[in-house]
Amino acid sequence: MGFFSKLFKGPEVDMEKSSANAKKMRLLFDQVVENGGSYRLIFGYTEDVSRFNYGFVHGSKTKIGNLIVGWNEAEATIVAVPTVPDLSGCGDPTYYRRSEILKAYRNKYPTDAFVIYPDKKGYLAINAYDWLDDESLYVYVSQEEELAAFTDFFMNRFATK
Amino acid sequence: MSLGALGAWVLVLLAVFLTGRLWFRFVESILDRIRALLTRHREPPAWHPLPQEEDKEDPS
Repeated sequence: MGFFSKLFKGPEVDMEKSSANAKKMRLLFDQVVENGGSYRLIFGYTEDVSRFNYGFVHGSKTKIGNLIVGWNEAEATIVAVPTVPDLSGCGDPTYYRRSEILKAYRNKYPTDAFVIYPDKKGYLAINAYDWLDDESLYVYVSQEEELAAFTDFFMNRFATK
Repeated sequence: MSLGALGAWVLVLLAVFLTGRLWFRFVESILDRIRALLTRHREPPAWHPLPQEEDKEDPS
């Protein structure tokens, strides 16, 4: 009975591991972002899909980039900090202030992503989910509430259309 | 189709698959080396390691 109920319930979140990673995300973020404590955080990722054709072998490659995404409601600012799935370190932050960006919107197709164009030259597409099980590719963190809050902020106070 | 012919066909498919994988790895390694040569003078992006949490246990 116990075995089958577990089998049909599907994968469950290890909340201890999730909380530990949430703390690490906070430590990393506060380390590189000034006044980091005033930002709420979620984990997001970017996907870079490129096609290749090496003669008789061709297909597509996907590169995943992990991000700690912070948002400050009062300042209408989103900060993206690159990191790695084990959260052993992070790169420099990039700031996206609503007053300075070109446009921002939520994309539904081909993937559900929060898209920010800082200028005409490039864009950042942030993919975010409640929880992703693959620890080799993504940060293991459960973030249902935080993602709902970020979505609300993005759609109602940050998006430009 | 006999069992032997079926096995031979599976072996052919396996050989094609493995050759493809090897060719992919080979071309990727060459491209990686070219990229490394072209970007050797570029500074690596800044990286900040996770700060170690100090154990702040009460001595009493």
